[in-house]
Formats: sequence, structure tokens, C-alpha cells
Amino acid sequence: MSKFQRFLLKRLAISVLLTLVAVSVIFVVLRLLPGSPFEALVTSGNLNQEQIDEIRAMYGLDQSIWVQYVNYLGSLLTFQFGYSILRSQPVWDVLEPRLINSLILLVPALVTTAILSSVLGMYAGWNRGSRLEKFSIVSTTLLRSTPVFITAIFFIIVFAYNLEIVPALGMRSIRATPDGYIETFGSLDFLHHYILPFTIAVLYYSGDFLLLARNGVVEKRGSEFLKLHRAKGLTEMEQLARAGRNSMLPILTYFTLRLGMIFQGLILLEVVFSWPGIGRELVLAIQQQDYPLVQAAVFIMALAVILANLLADVLYAYFDPTVSTSGGGTA
Amino acid sequence: MSTETKPKAELYKRVDALWTTVRDQFAFLRQDPMAFAGMLVVAAFVFLGLFGPYLAPHDPIEHTVRGDGGSVLRLAAPSADAFFGTTAYGKDVLSQFLAGARPTLIVGLFGGLGTGALGFSVGVVSGYYGGWVDELLMRLTDLTFSLPFMPMALLLLTFMTPNIWLITAIIAAFLWKMPARVVRSEVLSVRERTFVKSARASGASDLRTMLYHVAPNVLPIGFLYTAYGVAWAIAAQASLAFLGFGDPTMTSWGRMLRQVFASGNMRVAWWWVLPPAVGIAAITTSVFLIGRAYEEVINPEIQTDQ
Repeated sequence: MSKFQRFLLKRLAISVLLTLVAVSVIFVVLRLLPGSPFEALVTSGNLNQEQIDEIRAMYGLDQSIWVQYVNYLGSLLTFQFGYSILRSQPVWDVLEPRLINSLILLVPALVTTAILSSVLGMYAGWNRGSRLEKFSIVSTTLLRSTPVFITAIFFIIVFAYNLEIVPALGMRSIRATPDGYIETFGSLDFLHHYILPFTIAVLYYSGDFLLLARNGVVEKRGSEFLKLHRAKGLTEMEQLARAGRNSMLPILTYFTLRLGMIFQGLILLEVVFSWPGIGRELVLAIQQQDYPLVQAAVFIMALAVILANLLADVLYAYFDPTVSTSGGGTA
Repeated sequence: MSTETKPKAELYKRVDALWTTVRDQFAFLRQDPMAFAGMLVVAAFVFLGLFGPYLAPHDPIEHTVRGDGGSVLRLAAPSADAFFGTTAYGKDVLSQFLAGARPTLIVGLFGGLGTGALGFSVGVVSGYYGGWVDELLMRLTDLTFSLPFMPMALLLLTFMTPNIWLITAIIAAFLWKMPARVVRSEVLSVRERTFVKSARASGASDLRTMLYHVAPNVLPIGFLYTAYGVAWAIAAQASLAFLGFGDPTMTSWGRMLRQVFASGNMRVAWWWVLPPAVGIAAITTSVFLIGRAYEEVINPEIQTDQ
């Protein structure tokens, strides 16, 4: 077994273990919650004891905690999240469209910002001390340190309320009743609702990529291999391209990590824009104590992070053999 | 190492050195206009956090602003009666803004300090000992990386009544991972330096080596991440409050924003939105700008000889 394979195996085992621990923590936290959604049903007085027992049995709440735990693990492994208590629908049926609504907003935004701000960052780093560099650093610092909902509120006030260019909330206009994904996402109405949250997401994430790219190029600027390129007579832009290519790895790794954190990172964005995504659904489910929905949503978010971490570590080790593969991972 | 009998002169020298450091830092920050502006904002913010509630002309929640006719002023634009206007419930926005700085300061300060201290200790211990200690601690940081912060915090805050210290603790419990990793990687390189090795060779205990030889050399980066921790904590606290999971007994900037958002008055009452929003944005950005100025000093690779 090569060193890389051994690293891969170890990293894989750790990921599985982490998933197990994360899932157990969610289980324990949910069981610690006082009251249950059933109590609301019970205290409303419309159910007799028999019906209550029946419901409890349906959700497996009459069994011992260990049996519940094992069932819970089994159900997660097979993506059977059970029934949403308040929506009386299978959890997955509730979550799947919302997951897609989130992805359609966040993935294009993340890809766009990764490309645009990396290029801008490299250019800024190359022109160290220029006005552009200073401006881009201050503006992206402002954007990434300000909580995303505040940026969103400012933009809503300006573009939706005062200039009235775009709608302030929702994913489609209220009267739209599209059928299927193509109809939902392939319309001008959708685009009209899409543009503002998309822009906010792009701006919010731009800072980290820009600074990473800038620092990478600044570090490379003084290095020997660029002196060689300069001596060979390459133009400024060609040299920058070389320096940029050599600082791609941290950006790539960071992109993967961000992708994993995408759902949780923008819960606030979805809430501000009433975007029917998984983050907003989680907040609603918590408020309504819809446990099966909550545990499924949190599980999906945790799984995304764990998988992305795994991918980032592996990418790093694969592309940069000088990095010790004996653990540690990425910062 | 000689036996410690510190004469007074030695103590004075230390105090003097500390004072010089503080003055140097101040002079350094003044050179960078952005960092200096940030420092002024932070100073103003600390002042508001300490004295804001006493400066507030009215009680932020109890008092209702009334106009000349004695009627309650609801959603009134800024005027002589209320300099920052009133909320939909007839409360004084200025008073809420002044009082709302305190929870932001408390969570920011203690959340940041907690994050920094915890992360620093874990990083130093993990990097210094290596082996299974390192492995164990790093898997623990992996775990906090895997548990998504926002959802977990929301979950925890539903079954424990949110109060400001609980929120601070949750934030610190999730955010220490960042400094821990960075400090650890710094320690890994410091550990190999000659003075650490010679300290070990001359029989210094692990604890002593860590405290006197390793820790001081990674302290700057620890401070930097403590500062970032402050900004993260403030942002997290505001976000939680905005989602409705803040301390229900305290007026905070995040809570003000929640109220204006949830009441649907964001469209009209800009005077209710702007003070808390600008407050949060200004303080988090300022901390980051100061941090960036220091990062250039700490990370020698970004430093270039222009």
C-alpha cells in the first residue's frame, strides 16, 4: 500500500467516525429538548390515550433509548428520515426541493465568486501598494466581516424598496405556480428574484478568496522561479499567470471547504430573503419542534462539512506531495 | 535559569518594557490609516458598551415616546422628541441603540477571549507534545469543524433559555478550532528551534518550556486570532439574535434588527434599521482591519521588501 493510499484510508476512517459522533450529538441534543411536538397534539385534547400511544409507537418513542438510537442510525444510513410531524409528509419529500433551492442559489454564487475574486486578488497582489489593492482589501474586508444579513438588509433597502428594481423576497412571484424544476428555475420571474440574493452571496464570499489569492501572489512575487521567468523575458501578465497558477492550491482547498459549509453559512441569507431553502426550513422546523425534520436537516449539513473536509485534505495531499501526509490536514 | 528572587528594579524594567510595547503598537497602528480608523471605532464601541445604557435618555423597553398631544409616537421619523425616531411600538431608537451596545460588547469580548485562550492552549499543547496528545486534540478540532455551528447553536438555544453567557459559551465552544490549528502549526516549527531544544536539554520541565520558551513565540498569532475571535463572536451573536435566538431580557443590536425585520417595517423605518446595522458592520470590520495590519507583521511571507 502506498503512502497516499494509507493516508486516504486513515482519513476515510476518521470521517466515518466523525459522522458517527456528530450524528450521536444531534441525537442526544434532540432527546434533551424539553417537551415534544406531540405534547401540543396531546394537550389540544383531541386525542385519547390509545391514539397517543399509537402515535408514539409509530415514531418509535415507546422503545428504549438504545433501540431508538440504533433505529435512528439505521434510518440515517438509508436516508430514511421518517415523517415530518407538522407537515405530515416524509421528511425527504419536504427537504429535497428545499435542498435544490439552496443549491441553485449557492453553488453558482460560490463558483462565480471563487473565479472572479481570485483573479482580482491575484491582480491586486501583483500590483502591491496600488490604489486598486487597497480598495479591494478594504471593501472585501467590510463585506466578509459584516454579518451577511446586514449586507442583505442594506441591499434590500436600496434596490428593492427605494429603486424598486428587484423584489425583496421569495423565489418566485406569489402567483407563479410552476411545475417541475425546469419551469421553476427557467423563467425571467425566477431570475428577477434570484439576482439580489445571488449578488449578496457573491459579495459575502469574495473577501476570503480575494485575500487568499492576493497573499499567494504576494508570497510568490519575490521567489526564485519568477526571477527566472523574468530573465526569460516573459511579460508581466505571463509572469502573473505563473505566479497565480502556483497559488491555486490553497484556493482550491478553500473552495472545497466553503462548499461544505454552504448550507449552514447562508441560513441567514435564506431567512432575510424568504428563500425556500434548507437553512430557512431548519429554522422553521426548530421553532415548530419538528424533530425528524430538524435532525435530517442538521445531518445533511454536518455530512456536507465532513465530506468537504475529507475532499479538501485528499486534494491537498494529492496535489502537493511536499505536504506531510501523516495527518494534520488543512488549516 | 537562576532562582527567582526578583528585585524591584527588575519589575520596573518589565513594566517599562510593557509600556514601551504598548506605545510602539499604538505608533504602529497610527501609520496604517485603516487600522487607525478601526481603532477609533473600537474605542468608541467599548465606550458605548460600558456607558451606553447610562447615556440612554429613556429606558429602551419600558418608556414610550409621546408627542405633543400625548399620543404615542409610532414609527416616527427622527425629530426633536426622539433623535433617532421611534419603533413600531413607540420606543426610542436612540435609547435602544445605546443600550444595545452592551450585550454586543460582552459577547464579543468574552467570546473572543474564550476563543483565543482555548484555541491557544489547545494549539500549544497539541503542537508541543505531538504523538497521541496531538492526534486526540486535532480529532477534537475536526469534530467541532464537522458540527455545523449555526444549526447546533440554534438547537442548543432552543432547549436552554438563551442568556448572554450561554451564547458566549456556545460561541467559544465552537470557534476555538481556528486559533488552535494555526497556533499548533506555528508551535511545530518553534519546537524545532535551538533555544527550545537547549531548554529541554538543560532539564527544564515540559510545562516550563511551553510557558517560557514556546508560548511567547506564538503569542502574536494567538493575539491576532483572539482579535478575529472578537469579530466572529459579535457577528455570531448578532446573527443568532436576528434569528430570534438571542437573550430575551436584553436589548441588543441584533434583536433590534430582528424586530424591525419581523414587524415588516424595514421598508419605511430606515431610522430603525440603520443604527444597529451600521453599529454591527462598523465594529466587525474595524476589528478585521486592525487584524490585517498585524497579519502583515506576523506573517513574514506576506511582507515584501518593496
